[in-house]
Amino acid sequence: MTRSNIELGDVTPHNIKQLKKLNTVVFPVSYNEKFYIDVLEAGELAKLVYYNDIVVGAVCCRIDTSENQRRLYIMTLGCLSSYRRLGIGTVMFQHILNYAEKDGNFDSIFL
Amino acid sequence: MPSSDPLPPKESALFRKLLKCYEMKQYKNGLKLAKQILSNPKYAEHGETLAMKGLTLNGLGRRDEAYKYVRLGLRKDLRSHVCWHVYGLLQRSDKKYDEAIKCYRNALKWEKDNLQILKDLSLLQIQMRDLEGYKETRHHLFTLRPSQHASWIGFAMSYHLIGDLEMANSILETFSQSQASIETHDYRHSELLLYQNQILIEAGNLQRALDHLHQYESQIVDKLAVQESVGDLHIKLGQPALAVPIFEELIRRNPENTLYYSQYFAAREFTEPADKLAAFKQFEEIYPRAMCPKRLPLDVASGDAFRAALDSYLRRGLRKGVPPLFVNVRVLHRNHEKAAIIEELALQYYENLTRSGHFSREDADANLPVEPASALVWTALFLAQHYDYKRDTEHALEYVNAAIEHTPTLIELFMTKGRIYKHAGDPVEAYMWMDEAQSMDTADRYINSKCAKYMLRANLVKEAEEICSKFTREGVTAMENLNEMQCMWFQTECALAYQRMGLWGDSLKKCHEVDRHFSEIIEDQFDFHTYCMRKMTLRAYIGLLRLEDVLRRHPFYFKAAKCAIEVYIRLYDKPLKSEETIEEIDSENLPPSELKKLRSKQRKAKKKAELESAQAAQAQVKREQHQKSKQQANQEADPEAPQLDELIPEKLERPDDPLDKAIEFLKPLQQLAKDRIETHLLAFEIYCRKNKILLMLQSIRRAIAIDATHSSIHACIARFAQALSKLTANGELNVSVQTVIDKATKELIGTKSVQQLNDEFVAQKSDSIMHLYEGARIMYELDPNKRNEAIKLITSFDINKVKLEEATKIFEALRSGAFGECTAELRQYRTTCQQRFKYARVFKDIADTESNAAANDVNHVDEKSKPNAISADEKTADL
Repeated sequence: MTRSNIELGDVTPHNIKQLKKLNTVVFPVSYNEKFYIDVLEAGELAKLVYYNDIVVGAVCCRIDTSENQRRLYIMTLGCLSSYRRLGIGTVMFQHILNYAEKDGNFDSIFL
Repeated sequence: MPSSDPLPPKESALFRKLLKCYEMKQYKNGLKLAKQILSNPKYAEHGETLAMKGLTLNGLGRRDEAYKYVRLGLRKDLRSHVCWHVYGLLQRSDKKYDEAIKCYRNALKWEKDNLQILKDLSLLQIQMRDLEGYKETRHHLFTLRPSQHASWIGFAMSYHLIGDLEMANSILETFSQSQASIETHDYRHSELLLYQNQILIEAGNLQRALDHLHQYESQIVDKLAVQESVGDLHIKLGQPALAVPIFEELIRRNPENTLYYSQYFAAREFTEPADKLAAFKQFEEIYPRAMCPKRLPLDVASGDAFRAALDSYLRRGLRKGVPPLFVNVRVLHRNHEKAAIIEELALQYYENLTRSGHFSREDADANLPVEPASALVWTALFLAQHYDYKRDTEHALEYVNAAIEHTPTLIELFMTKGRIYKHAGDPVEAYMWMDEAQSMDTADRYINSKCAKYMLRANLVKEAEEICSKFTREGVTAMENLNEMQCMWFQTECALAYQRMGLWGDSLKKCHEVDRHFSEIIEDQFDFHTYCMRKMTLRAYIGLLRLEDVLRRHPFYFKAAKCAIEVYIRLYDKPLKSEETIEEIDSENLPPSELKKLRSKQRKAKKKAELESAQAAQAQVKREQHQKSKQQANQEADPEAPQLDELIPEKLERPDDPLDKAIEFLKPLQQLAKDRIETHLLAFEIYCRKNKILLMLQSIRRAIAIDATHSSIHACIARFAQALSKLTANGELNVSVQTVIDKATKELIGTKSVQQLNDEFVAQKSDSIMHLYEGARIMYELDPNKRNEAIKLITSFDINKVKLEEATKIFEALRSGAFGECTAELRQYRTTCQQRFKYARVFKDIADTESNAAANDVNHVDEKSKPNAISADEKTADL
């Protein structure tokens, strides 16, 4: 019995199209090319989520330095509808929290 | 070294130095020494020196000069074995093995016992498979040097290859007796023993082989081979009980080897499925992680036992998300009962997963934990593939679309969708979906290659090349790199694509490239003759020799040869005009604007051709330079093989003798692919055009021996009868030929006329569309007035029983005019087919009429239906 396996993976130029597809399906807004160019530079702030080795979700963040504060801005965080309520969102969010904690210099996280 | 005029001490010392320099590849020094010897006026024409100079030049890559000098030296000193030897070496480096053998034999005439020459000769003989000659040479070497191990082994091997296994074995036996001490873990000795054992088994002396293994077991290092062999021998010798523990041990060693399981059952003497299933259950318990005990029962079981085993197998696969799950069970679909069970189970899973997230109602009722969310998408994919296998396009698309809806990020879904469209007859749609799949993971070469293949099926050669270039070497065109890498799947698909597009020259070029790969592979075995003897890997070596003997049996060669033969036949039926005359056609009938356009097109084409030929020349020059620089850098003893002729499409598609070229491709097929009926059908096509009545007959009989009910055979018989009657009418038949034919035709045709034969055939085979089609064509051929009747025969057949490939073939035949003018019937048939095969591209385009069916049209003939260019009675206006 294989229980569900949730893992995070990097976004690379090779699989960026999967991220685009995901965002198109999950979000009502369409993001332009610049968004995806920035995502490739984001490193640990942009991740794909794999459920049993299938891409089902993604999270993209950015470091925002407006309002004299250094804050972490979550640009997108979403998952395919058929795979909701399985703890995937939790994994994504936990990853972001870990990142913020490790960095230590964030004033807040906001959506 | 005896020669006609021996050198004095000083010169002969120089000569010996010259030889050493050659062996050490110090060619420049060698040349200097040769010059020294030759500068002495008395010996300026010394044959052997001249020959050696030539050989040294060859080492430097100056082949023409090399030949000149060697030939000169030979002429001066015909009785010198050195000269002949050198000439032989030269020929060998040019891969002219037959010539080289002759030279070596001549050299041996003058010096019978020269070891070097004998060794070289033996290598050439085995390369050319001159087994008798090889045996003699090996015998000779053996008598000369009985102390060398290699001579014994070569001697034994020569007998093995010829088939005299007893002799081979006794030689090896004597040899191993004479072996003094054997170190432990002596791999080479162990291989020798195993080789000897293999000979014993091939000779049929199973008991002796078994005893031999037991006797020398401690000296043999490859324990696995020993175990497998001993187990196998016990079974063959009728001692199955002894084999049981051996195979249990082997299964423990590797529970995934299916052969061990079947041997185990043979050892336990199980024949009933129930016994086997029980055994599998036991194995599953002992090895819970092994796949074989889970998958193999599916082949053996039936009915409820099958259902139970299949249920657990599928559930496990769907839960885990195994992409090739359908492929694993596809072979079971051949059994209709099993296929029905598979479908039932899969539909049940789908229904229950959507409803409650379980695989079955019972699970839901028992409140078992829910299956992973991905199980649904894999189930949908499985169903899509299942319906696609049944060619039920509607349902397949329904499920794959549902799956895409559920999880649009799974690449396999898009691949399957593309595959469904391919099977439905729409290569363009197929390629688009495959492209979508490819773009989602551009690091995956597999999906990249699949996409390239689908592009080729859609006749998009340029795009396919572009896609492949993402993974091929930088700096070289993709086509060139793929050719270098012997990427034959790409080349055969390219050849077929060009054939569909009517670009005969390009198609032939690809077929020739593939043929050259096979020749290269056969060439490459040359170095292994010395290597394997040295390393003593004799079993593998024999395996290599046997493989190379049947190399052209490979499906890639068959594909390429079939394509080439079809294209050559087409070029024979409709030869292309030479390039200049094409320009002169039709220039009077065009209005001035068209004329201007035509002229400018011609000018552009000419410029392009010139550019291309200039590029080809440049490429040739570059290649030669590259080769030269490579040679200067490496100073190889054997410079590059002679540059094969550049394959130029324009030249290839205007052959002087297309049928002879076709026969070149046919010969290996007739030798190695005898059991494929297409070989004989193609042979018939060629011989029919050559009017070789006996060969036609031979092909028909061979085809009948393979499958007497094949639809094309009837057409062949009819044409044969026609050709025969024409020949007898002209009185051209030789008497003895006549008798042979009469005997044969009595069985095939009897005393019926072709007309009668055909009518009977049509009446008999009214339930098979392909047979009716062949019959109808002949009916029309024999009597054009029966056109409507013929056409009706085909079109009135129940379309629901016709497969897509068959419908496409018939449609193409109607369109190309094989039945004369029949626009109305054509349109009617098209509409019928459209309703049945909604997605097939070939039946779309309502506006398409006869005139549009030009060769430039992207004819999406499905890959399985052959172009109608083969039939001799085509009345095409424009194709």
